[in-house]
Amino acid sequence: MLALLLGCGPKPKPEPQVVDLYIASDGDFLDFVPDTLTVRTGARVCLTFHHAGKIISARHDWVLTYPGKLDALTKDCLDLDGILPQGDPLVLARTPLCDKGQTVMVEFIAPRPGDYPFVCATHPEDMRGVLHVTS
Amino acid sequence: MKTKRIPAFLATIGMALLVAAPLAAQLKSPDDVKTALRLLVQVSNDFKRQITNKNFARVPHENMEYMEAAEALRGAVKDEPAAFKSKVEARLKAALAAYQKISDMSATTPDADKLMAEHAKAVTAMNALFDLFPADLRPDPNTPPGGRGRGPAPATN
Repeated sequence: MLALLLGCGPKPKPEPQVVDLYIASDGDFLDFVPDTLTVRTGARVCLTFHHAGKIISARHDWVLTYPGKLDALTKDCLDLDGILPQGDPLVLARTPLCDKGQTVMVEFIAPRPGDYPFVCATHPEDMRGVLHVTS
Repeated sequence: MKTKRIPAFLATIGMALLVAAPLAAQLKSPDDVKTALRLLVQVSNDFKRQITNKNFARVPHENMEYMEAAEALRGAVKDEPAAFKSKVEARLKAALAAYQKISDMSATTPDADKLMAEHAKAVTAMNALFDLFPADLRPDPNTPPGGRGRGPAPATN
């Protein structure tokens, strides 16, 4: 009876894999290092972005968008001077903007498999990369 | 006659290289110089982009960043001989004045064509500054910044 109870009850949902990702600006230059990241679909991603600049007072962030939406997001970033509205439908995840030397974080669940572009909202034409989500 | 001139011409180039090479080797902080020069180009390109996008309100901010990059260059050459530093300072001031003019004009004359014409003059002033440094430390002012058009990012769109 006990075995039946134990065996037939609803199965607990498996905890999503937790993945820590780290990405930084290339010092004061307009590049992400690294510019490609990989994560498994469904993972709980904890991404840390470090603004490694020391000279220039430009602000940076990390903004993830959907496959095929890079141009649209770039246009929005340029039109809005990097200040994207809350709940922007093009944005899958993003960190806050930060100043040189600062570190910011964002958590999100890795979406379905595919290549997801990311940019810095204040330098969307230069600071770009891809998050590879695998199955 | 012509063939006699060629060795003389080559000898002149050789002498010029011999004179220039020790200058490059003598720089105390070549990596810092290279970083500062690259940042000047990066910010100059940002000026151009803001003008092209008619985002004139952002131009003064770019000017502030240009001054920060200029300060980095001053720091990078601080231990160089006084004569070299004064040459750098004179050309750096000319470049700073040219970019300042763009910044001022962006508020008073927000005309993209006029600002682009001033930007071209500013790049010329910046090139004159770069001429003081060894070629291997100089970025090409006409080269787009590193992140553009390379790597897999654009291909995914």
